[in-house]
Amino acid sequence: MSGTPPPPSRPLIEISGLSKQFGSVQALTGLDLRVMPGEIYGLLGPNGAGKTTTIRIITGLVEPTSGWVKVVDFDPVKCPIEVKSRIGYVAENPILYESLSPRDFLEFVASMRKIDKASANRRVTQLASAFDMSQYFDSPIATLSMGMKQKVALIAALVHQPPILLLDEPLNGLDAKSSRIVKDLVSLHADRGGAVLFSTHIMEVAEHICTRIGIIHKGKVIAEGTLDQLRKKTGGKSKTLEEVLLELTNEEAQVADATRMLGEAIFNK
Amino acid sequence: MKLIDAWHLSRTPYREVVYRSLAEEKGRMWWGAFGKSHFDRERQNDFELTKRVLRIAKFDKLIVAAFCVMSSAMPFTSLFSGSRVLGLASSISLSLAVTFGFTALYAIQTLSSFVSAESSALLSTLPLSKDDFSKITLFSFIRSVDYMVVGAIVSQAILVATLTTSPVATLLMLVASTMNAVFAVTVALWFSRLFHRNLMRGGRSKSGTILRLVFIVMWGSLLLGVGLLLSIPWYIVPHLEMALLGVDQLSNLLFLIIYPFSAGTALANLVYPNAASSAVLIASGAMIGYFMLAGAAAKWSIETVKHVSKEAGVKIARMQTQDFSIKTRSPVLGYVIKDLRISSRNPATAFFFALPVLETLIVSLLVANYQTLKVSAVLVATVTGGILSLLMPLALLNAEGTGLEYTKTLPVNAHRIMTSKALITTATYVPVPLTILGMSFMKQLTSPMAAMIPFLTMLAIASASVFEIKLFLNSAAIGRIAAVTQDVEKLVAGVLIALIPEIAYVASYLISYNHVAAILAMGGTVVVELALALYVLRGS
Repeated sequence: MSGTPPPPSRPLIEISGLSKQFGSVQALTGLDLRVMPGEIYGLLGPNGAGKTTTIRIITGLVEPTSGWVKVVDFDPVKCPIEVKSRIGYVAENPILYESLSPRDFLEFVASMRKIDKASANRRVTQLASAFDMSQYFDSPIATLSMGMKQKVALIAALVHQPPILLLDEPLNGLDAKSSRIVKDLVSLHADRGGAVLFSTHIMEVAEHICTRIGIIHKGKVIAEGTLDQLRKKTGGKSKTLEEVLLELTNEEAQVADATRMLGEAIFNK
Repeated sequence: MKLIDAWHLSRTPYREVVYRSLAEEKGRMWWGAFGKSHFDRERQNDFELTKRVLRIAKFDKLIVAAFCVMSSAMPFTSLFSGSRVLGLASSISLSLAVTFGFTALYAIQTLSSFVSAESSALLSTLPLSKDDFSKITLFSFIRSVDYMVVGAIVSQAILVATLTTSPVATLLMLVASTMNAVFAVTVALWFSRLFHRNLMRGGRSKSGTILRLVFIVMWGSLLLGVGLLLSIPWYIVPHLEMALLGVDQLSNLLFLIIYPFSAGTALANLVYPNAASSAVLIASGAMIGYFMLAGAAAKWSIETVKHVSKEAGVKIARMQTQDFSIKTRSPVLGYVIKDLRISSRNPATAFFFALPVLETLIVSLLVANYQTLKVSAVLVATVTGGILSLLMPLALLNAEGTGLEYTKTLPVNAHRIMTSKALITTATYVPVPLTILGMSFMKQLTSPMAAMIPFLTMLAIASASVFEIKLFLNSAAIGRIAAVTQDVEKLVAGVLIALIPEIAYVASYLISYNHVAAILAMGGTVVVELALALYVLRGS
């Protein structure tokens, strides 16, 4: 992994009192979060809860209104280069250079990250083979399916072996085999001391791979812990993560209402 | 569906095409983080952003249409001097040529998105009949060029009506202008499709690269053609005069046959019938041929546009490879290579790569007529080449488009990006000093210092490009998509910075009448500019 990871006791990502305001919209309201080495932290929450904003602030793409973020002890606002060289980021809808082929694009990324030729070639070859890119490696990215674009973004995020992975819905559009590879890679990354911040709407994925889950609602983490700890908070031992999430975000009643109203609107004359 | 309803509905896919092309080419809201202040794209409401893009598109379209109308009217000023026949023939020919160039250049900007059929993706999911779908698609295509085409046709017809007071000539001018628009749009559509197909094909084959180079040179030649027609009417006018007097020589015959000179000749002789009858006959015959060709071109364009949704699935040749090797480079070189790749694959920016060819030709033309290579001629040639080169930074910045969103996640500083773009800009200028150096071996120099001027200007171009990029980034920090006029501001600033050393040369020479002192003054100014540019780079 590039960069020297801090001692195991220190968090790789630390966020305190993070707020972000976009015009009149308060996206984050005093969010606190820590991701330790070896952890896969699942960030779950309803649409618009602030998951993507949190991740984009960690990457240095968005500046917080207040609060602070440390990524391996670096502030993304003051030291964006240090932070960006230590993270592998996959956006929810990866925007890549569409006219480039995956080969051109990965050459660009590897050059920007100053990866030596031998290492870059070895990793790209391994990842591209694993993701079945052989037919698509020289096709313009514009012609690739969403899943293929996601694979290119994943390879680009992993090529420099970063200590931290920020994955915003990384399984979007991926086939079963590739999804499994990503999940295994994420687990492997954590086993080797890396940290993963994983945002997803797929509850089963979060249940299976995340070592800790944070429920984010209206811009702050309202509950945090392992699945069992979250179940305890809602008082139901056999509850699924989906049920836990809906209960913690007070959305169970809304779901019932919405289903009833839609049923009447669509199926009743 | 009624035609009027289809016209109203076509507004939505048209707006989508405009939005995509403008957002892609002027993706400067994504430049924010590299500007002086940190900018969050999210700060801007999406609705506001969309509205602004569309407002700017309309403004750009109006400005370009107004410019096109003005340029198409300019050649008619030659009517006030010299022969009436000659004046009218050359005015009409040049006006048509200029309009053709402008329309084609503008159309290709929006048609790139159009031919990718993304605009019709939504329409294709709606329960529309094939005929209605075709109508809406066709109308959204027409909307892309309506202002400038209608503006040029009407202005040309009004000018001919006013100047000749001949209803027949006016009617024929209307026909010729319409044909001209059809040709321009067809060429733009054809180029856009070829580019799109070439892009979709992908791969790293030599044939693909050669094909792309051929496109670039062809596209650049079209631009050069328009530029030459605008700048050297005095060269064309004598040939036209000869052509009107008879068809003895091959070049004169060609002028009568080649569009748009045939149109000018045929129309002028209708109004003032005193040219050789053979010339009129040949020009009129050629016009009938072009009329038929315009009909075929219009048919092809309509069919192509109607089938644009089917074209969405351009055959993509997937090449199986087990070789996943990549070439890594230094960050600056990596950025240069990436810039060259994305710019050469975009029809709206690819023609900038013909700049070195254009510069060589223009500089050669500018100094070719002099027996002695005068310092004044060298100064004019270097400035002309410099203005062309300084178009490059804006093209490169705009070509980044939405992909820049990804670059912002990489550990790359603004100064690396600026350096790479300044390097490309300076490289495009290299043919200018080399051409002048070559000329200096063939011609006598008024001063040996003259050969040094373009090399010093090259360094001034490097500094000017840095300032131009910095200005762009600073305005991008505000996080707004800018209109085309705001790009012109950056270009003017760049040109002025590149001019300062030349002004220092001229001023020093006027004071001292000594070329050595003048070149020292120029060199000193260049060094100061370079130091400032390096300071700006380091602070970025």
